[in-house]
Amino acid sequence: MNASDIKKLMIGSLNADTEHVEVYRKLEEEGVNYDFSRDFTDKVIDKVFSVSLKINRQVEFFRYMNLTFYRVALTGIAAIVLLIISLYMAEGSFSLNTMLGLGDNSDESFLYLLTGN
Amino acid sequence: MISVPYSEADEKTLVTASLEGDKRAFGEIVDRYRKMVARTVKGMLGDSVFAEDIGQEVFINLYYSLKEFRGDSKLSTYIQKIAVNLTLNEIKRRKRFFSLFTQKGNDEMHEFEIADRNNEERNEASEIVNKALMQMDPKFRIILTMRMLQGYSTKETAEILDLPLGTVLSRLSRAQEQLKSILVKL
Repeated sequence: MNASDIKKLMIGSLNADTEHVEVYRKLEEEGVNYDFSRDFTDKVIDKVFSVSLKINRQVEFFRYMNLTFYRVALTGIAAIVLLIISLYMAEGSFSLNTMLGLGDNSDESFLYLLTGN
Repeated sequence: MISVPYSEADEKTLVTASLEGDKRAFGEIVDRYRKMVARTVKGMLGDSVFAEDIGQEVFINLYYSLKEFRGDSKLSTYIQKIAVNLTLNEIKRRKRFFSLFTQKGNDEMHEFEIADRNNEERNEASEIVNKALMQMDPKFRIILTMRMLQGYSTKETAEILDLPLGTVLSRLSRAQEQLKSILVKL
C-alpha cells in the first residue's frame, strides 16, 4: 500500500455510513502498531497492588486507633464512676462542693488561704 | 484462583477474581485490553512517555472502579470510556500548561506532541497516521481515533464519547474536511 492508499483509507474511515472494523487491521498490516512497553502489565500490577496494600495498611492503622480510643475511653469512664462512688461513700452526698473536693471549707478559710490573714 | 486457565476465562470471572485480589486475573484483563487502550492513548497523545503513564492510570482507575462495573455494557466499552476521559483530561491539562508560557498555546502543544520518541523508528504508514493525528484538533482527533484505530460505528462512538449522535455525525464530516487538508501537506 502506498502513501496515497493510506491517506484514502484514513479519509474513508470518517465516512458516516460505513463500518470500519477492517481499517485498523489494514493499517496494522502496513506496520501501524500501537502498544505499550513490554513490562507494562507488570508495572500496572505492581502499582495497583502496592497502592491497595498501602491503603489496607492505612485502614488497619485507623481501625486500631479507633479500638484504642474506645478502650481508653471505657477505662476513663470506669475510673470516673469509681471516683464518684468513693466520693459518695466518703462524703455521704453528691453536692457540688463534694464533687470539687471542697468538703466543709467555708468562704473565710478560702480567704485565709489566699491572703494569709 | 479460578478453575479455568486465565487466558480462557470470561470477563465476569476475571472481574470477580480481580476484586478478590487475584493479581493474575487482573493481569489477564490488562493483557487483553492494553493494545486497545494504547490505540486510544497513543493515538491522542502521541507515542510519548506520558502516554505510557496515562495508559497505566487507565488500568489503575479501572481496578478501583471494578466494584461499580455491573456488566450492563461490555468491559471493553467501560475501559474505553476511562481511557477517553483520562486522555481528554490530559490534553486539557497540557493546553493549560502551555498557555501559561506561550500565547500560541495550541501550536506549541502540537509541536510538542509531534516530537515524540519513536519518530525515527516508524515506517511511512505510521509516520503519515501519527503526523495527521497530531495535527488535528483534539475534538476531531478523538473521532478519528475511535473510527480509524478502534473501528467503532458512529453509534458506538457517540456512546463512548457521551455525545449525541447528531454531534458525532457533524464532527465526522468536519473531521474529514480537516483530515483532507492536513493529508495534502504530508
